[in-house]
Amino acid sequence: MTDPPPEAGANDQSPSSGDRLDSGDSSRPTLTRRSFLRRSAAATAGAAALAASLRPLTDPEFDLGDVGSLQKFLQKHYKEMTEEEMDRALARIRREVEQRFGLTPNVRDVKAMDGVEFVYALNLSRCIGCRKCVHACAAENNLSRDPEIQYIRVLEIPKGTIDLERADHHYDRETVPDRDHFYMPVQCHQCADPPCVKVCPVEATWQEPDGIVVIDYDWCIGCRYCEAACPYWARRFNFTEPNLPADELNPDMAYLSNRPRAKGVMEKCTFCLHRTREGRMPACVEVCPVGARKFGNVLDPESEVSQILKSKRIFVLKEEAGTLPRFFYYFDERRPRSGANVPDAPAPVGRVELGDEA
Amino acid sequence: MGGRRSHSTPTAVIEITITVCFLALAAWFLFGPRVTAIPRTPPVAVVPAEISTAPVRAPLGDVPVAVIAGFEMRCMECHGLFESRPETARRLTQHTHIVLDHGLNDRCFNCHDDAQRDRLALRGDKTIPFTQVARLCAECHGPTYRDWQRGMHGRTMGSWDPRSDRQWRLICSQCHDPHSPAYKPFKPLPGPNTLRMGPLRKKDEQGPVDRADPLRHWQHEPERPHPPVPSKDLDPAHSRDDRSAQPEDRL
Repeated sequence: MTDPPPEAGANDQSPSSGDRLDSGDSSRPTLTRRSFLRRSAAATAGAAALAASLRPLTDPEFDLGDVGSLQKFLQKHYKEMTEEEMDRALARIRREVEQRFGLTPNVRDVKAMDGVEFVYALNLSRCIGCRKCVHACAAENNLSRDPEIQYIRVLEIPKGTIDLERADHHYDRETVPDRDHFYMPVQCHQCADPPCVKVCPVEATWQEPDGIVVIDYDWCIGCRYCEAACPYWARRFNFTEPNLPADELNPDMAYLSNRPRAKGVMEKCTFCLHRTREGRMPACVEVCPVGARKFGNVLDPESEVSQILKSKRIFVLKEEAGTLPRFFYYFDERRPRSGANVPDAPAPVGRVELGDEA
Repeated sequence: MGGRRSHSTPTAVIEITITVCFLALAAWFLFGPRVTAIPRTPPVAVVPAEISTAPVRAPLGDVPVAVIAGFEMRCMECHGLFESRPETARRLTQHTHIVLDHGLNDRCFNCHDDAQRDRLALRGDKTIPFTQVARLCAECHGPTYRDWQRGMHGRTMGSWDPRSDRQWRLICSQCHDPHSPAYKPFKPLPGPNTLRMGPLRKKDEQGPVDRADPLRHWQHEPERPHPPVPSKDLDPAHSRDDRSAQPEDRL
């Protein structure tokens, strides 16, 4: 009670030790040497514990679990990154893939080519529903095998209708094609007026100059609005950590396409932009055993897709949705093969057949 | 001190109560009856060969080689020595593995050249090597040939850019067997994992379901290996069919 000066002195010496509460309150017991030491020790221990717990934040590569690393957490949007920042991001992805899969990927940021707008065409007269495209896509794009994620869905539809209500992607046949059905694979249509892009609240998905709708997987917040907005069921969500055997990993990767995704983000078909922006074919086109899938630059009048759009009968899925897809279905002009595919087809009478069989 | 304790005790009680409540809620969300796991089925194994981009067929090359009795023979090694009879409708004595199923086109020499057996015969007197088979096919399949020339029929490989020297097109015989050109049906690769969960329940069959069951929208079936084997026992769908069939049986 008789020594206020020591109290003031103690406060002066250690203003951070948390004893300021006692300084202004004269009714409280004064600070003794014992209590001062005790409180100082507690405060020091607390500060040390806090510093230790914040230690990971000083290491940008430290794994923070669901958040990833601090570097990933603080990474900018794809469009705002400078070249050095992109290099750092790619180095981080490379490091993460090495840790998780044990091999060094060739991950890069492939930009859109000038004067190129990609368009896809699929020949409904030729598709046999073998699902090779589905699995080639999964292998190329490092899709999760467990739980299973697939970008392409092959619909089996009875001949004589294009009624999606009667379509079935659960067909399980000994051999395809079935004579009474035709097959319509559906994947991302890369719409020119994409509803998925409009609804994204954080602009994590956008349309590139070559028409491909892409996702910045590090910017996506996983709200799944885009999944709900898509009329083609083309977007997939990672409900859990995607699993992929390390020996099936495709090391040919791009930032915007097939680098490994994390839990809680959307993903979708990107027309294999890591291949197509370097002039190659998408995996689904190259694997199609019947050549039903066609891909190319619609701005080039010589390209296959331009020829198809010029001279074939084109069908746009859900045209009434107004999404202006870059994915076109087309048909060959041909009569049923020997009447076998349509048993009740009437024999052509009184007109010239332009079929492809002599 | 007494006042302090009376002040702090309710606070502590409230704090502890809130903590316990939240912990209980968390436990309920994590382990409670409403927890639904994501439906999972074991991943399917797709052999890399099944998604190979190689052509379906490897047609005969520029100088066709046939394997006869274990020997690799070039056409003219036999046909240059032995004069073959004019073509009639008869059973072949050689090349017996060939099944000719090409519509109206049912004569060997419609396509093969009589004199030079390692070449193909166009209309008139022209002959072409086997590698230019598309010109022969074009004589009958004009519209298809036109489509193929423009890339609308058949497989294009390498690059999407027609100006790229990496782009190439497969020729007719790399997909079609000239003797039996219709594309042969084959087994499709496995379908989506929901297929392996069994068929979807119909609305009228819904009935009381366990909401915690992740597969509640599906009829439960034993896990089918791929390729699926049609099983008659152990199948709820079948037992349901049996039950529905019973009244008719009694009649």
